[in-house]
Amino acid sequence: MKFERWFPWVFCALLALFPLLASSLGLDFYVGFVRRAMIFALAAASLNFILGFGGMAALGHAGFLGVGAYALVALSDAGIESAWILWPAAMVVAGLVAALIGLIALRTRGVYLIMSTLAFAQMLYYVALSLRIYGGDDGYNLMARPSFGLGLDSADEATFYWVVLGLLALVMVGLNRATHSRFGHALMGLRDNETRMRAMGYPVFKLMLVAFSLSGALAGLAGALLVSHNAFVSPSAMHWTQSATLIVMVVIGGVGLRWGGPVGAVVWIGLEELVKQFTEYWHLPLGLLLIVIVFVAPRGLASVAEHWRLPRRPRPAEPAGAVLTPGEGS
Amino acid sequence: MSLFVVNGLVKRFGALLATDHVSLEVRPGEIHALIGPNGAGKSTFVNLISGLHQPDAGRIELDGTDLTPLPMDARIRAGLSRCFQITSIFPKATVIDNLMLAVQAQSGSSLRFLADRRRDQALLEAARALAARVGLEHALQRIAGTLPHGAQRQLDVALALAARPKLLLLDEPMAGMGPEDSERMTELIHTLRRDMAILLIEHDMKAVFALADRITVLVYGKVLVSGDVETIRNHPQVQAVYLGTETTESAV
Amino acid sequence: MTTILFIEQMLNGLGYGFMLFLLAAGLTLVFGIMDVMNLAHGSLFMAGAYVAAHVHGRTGSFVIGVLSALAVVLVLALVLEVFLVRRLYGREHLAQVLATFGVILVADDAVKLIWGAAPIMASAPALLSGPIELLPGLMYPSYRLLILAAGVLVAVGLYLLVNHTRVGMLVRAGASNRRMAEFMGVRVGQVFSMVFLLGATLAALAGALMGPLTAVQVGMGEEILIPSLVVLVIGGIGSVRGAFVAAMVVGMVDTIGRAFLPLLLRSFLSPTLVSDLAPAMAGLATYALMACVLAFKPAGLFPARG
Repeated sequence: MKFERWFPWVFCALLALFPLLASSLGLDFYVGFVRRAMIFALAAASLNFILGFGGMAALGHAGFLGVGAYALVALSDAGIESAWILWPAAMVVAGLVAALIGLIALRTRGVYLIMSTLAFAQMLYYVALSLRIYGGDDGYNLMARPSFGLGLDSADEATFYWVVLGLLALVMVGLNRATHSRFGHALMGLRDNETRMRAMGYPVFKLMLVAFSLSGALAGLAGALLVSHNAFVSPSAMHWTQSATLIVMVVIGGVGLRWGGPVGAVVWIGLEELVKQFTEYWHLPLGLLLIVIVFVAPRGLASVAEHWRLPRRPRPAEPAGAVLTPGEGS
Repeated sequence: MSLFVVNGLVKRFGALLATDHVSLEVRPGEIHALIGPNGAGKSTFVNLISGLHQPDAGRIELDGTDLTPLPMDARIRAGLSRCFQITSIFPKATVIDNLMLAVQAQSGSSLRFLADRRRDQALLEAARALAARVGLEHALQRIAGTLPHGAQRQLDVALALAARPKLLLLDEPMAGMGPEDSERMTELIHTLRRDMAILLIEHDMKAVFALADRITVLVYGKVLVSGDVETIRNHPQVQAVYLGTETTESAV
Repeated sequence: MTTILFIEQMLNGLGYGFMLFLLAAGLTLVFGIMDVMNLAHGSLFMAGAYVAAHVHGRTGSFVIGVLSALAVVLVLALVLEVFLVRRLYGREHLAQVLATFGVILVADDAVKLIWGAAPIMASAPALLSGPIELLPGLMYPSYRLLILAAGVLVAVGLYLLVNHTRVGMLVRAGASNRRMAEFMGVRVGQVFSMVFLLGATLAALAGALMGPLTAVQVGMGEEILIPSLVVLVIGGIGSVRGAFVAAMVVGMVDTIGRAFLPLLLRSFLSPTLVSDLAPAMAGLATYALMACVLAFKPAGLFPARG
């Protein structure tokens, strides 16, 4: 079986084993760290779906994370405890907000789309800032982590870790299936030649809106998981610089490549943590890194890895990064 | 009995009258050519028919359905399909994927998220049939952008055929083609005639005279004359417009 | 009494609008002509504010402070253009977002290294620290009048530059059709650099002028960037006229909204609710405005490009 097919599962198994090994290796702290990385992997994957596969440069994704987080906080305060209600609810709310924003933003293209999604996310940020009941600028503490029932203790770090891992795996499988589905192909068609898609009779706006809303809903899930993980939410998580960071993750990992989101999230968060060990001024080296990446590996680190392997023959129904293989000119 | 009727179509861009009360009709099974010098407004006219622009006045009717108020995707469902002057395919995908995408638009909803499209036998069969129709059955796995120009144009036509149109709008299909490719395309268009009416916009007069049943000549956005091939070929005003002879009177 | 307040707020709105215009004009030219998405524009604004505040503090002269800010940022912008922005022409927008976001990160930490994380003091010039009586009963801070004056001067200057000089003609040609301009022999590279530097200077001026009014701190560039982009979207990319109109509208809507919305809401909502909702709604006003404009004109009010 090909490397790409089995490696993710092996890696998943390794991730699953990690909490068990962590205490014996003295790495207890890192269980939470890896968990956070996985949550961002989910967020980045949801962004990659519309950005890489749909060609929609949306620079406001952190807004939907925030919506999911605050929705969870609001419902949790209202007395709902079960994660299995809170998390789906957060998804629904985030998805709806995404749909509303998409109704207007998706009428624009290119730079206008970038900027209007950016501005709408800032709008959400200001709404969060004004929510005095949820702490406004200071943020808000979540009293208790959503419960799982079924005899599982969500306060146990390892248990929560495995649930997050399970959700991430589920989402990645789902997104992968979606990429190969009719919808996925239609989305990529929109990315590659919107005019022709329209001329072939596709309901372009509807398809984009559905993709955008789904992506927003998944981001909402990531937001809900994040607030469950941190037991804290603040509007700063929705600031546009956070959205830009998500884009950075996707681009680093590889826009439109299957694992672009997760790879990018892990790399970025890992680097952030690493650099923080040495200096408090970690923005500087990471900023420089971004600039370097733009010129050295513009299609993301996953594309650099591609160069080290044998050239592939074009496979049917190959999503996104199907580059022209050497030797076949046009 | 006309299949496709355009009546008094008008389009202004600011002060420019791009389409000046154009009327035209295409009969079932007919290849109707639209010719005219550059800037005559042929592209605008095609865009008006396909739905990219809204006309300022006039009516467009296909097989009894009034297309005028309909948006682009509705016109396609009504049986209209078009090819573009500049090849418009999906260059990064394989030929079979290009064709499946075209077929998919016509066969049910695209809002299916979990089933793997590669397993959809109906789509695959339809796509293969399309490829065979235009002569691309041996190139299914090739990346579309790597095909030679002529083959890409063939693919372009195939994508339009997936909609099983009643009327096919061909916008300069011979554009940029050498003699061999042109002949192949001419033959292809000829075979299409059994299943649909064709409105052919072309500059390649050889192809026009070989294919067309009737011809309409457009000059400065206005119909100069419309009729069968012989009439047009010998029409003094048409000759004047194309060859610039001294006999030009109030042709325009 | 309320009329005085209203006039005062209107003047504030105009002032804010002019500052937004300074930023948006540079942005719209850089986007419109060079098709470059430069998120670091806000960082140039920040640099202008910091340098002006610093030099003013050291020398006691506001004017020298402003001039130093312009000079320093000009040099920074030159370096940025030559080593980075120039290589971003023709790249897809995401790559530009990424690279310029990297610049933001670097700039933020650079400022933190030099001046520390706490906001620094920027004071208005001593001459202009008092109010002036514009109308009987209307006392208006003289410094804000300076801002208005500066804004008007820049607006007129830009208008003359863009519409009545050869350079401006080149700029407009480039904004509407870069390729065509290239074919017609315009020294595109030079025009690009000039436009970028002009934009940077305007941003620095805005930063230097606004320093005394707002907090000079790390992240101020990112804060003003979004309203500037909103102005850009509403006005239409590549159009200085659009940027002006949009900046004025946004400036007024934002300022007057913040001032009067609480009053309006207080008439039918409880005070606690008002103090929660009013700032949010006022902040939202500009975005709602943008949403309305985009709903009808997805390319802005006066898009220069087709």
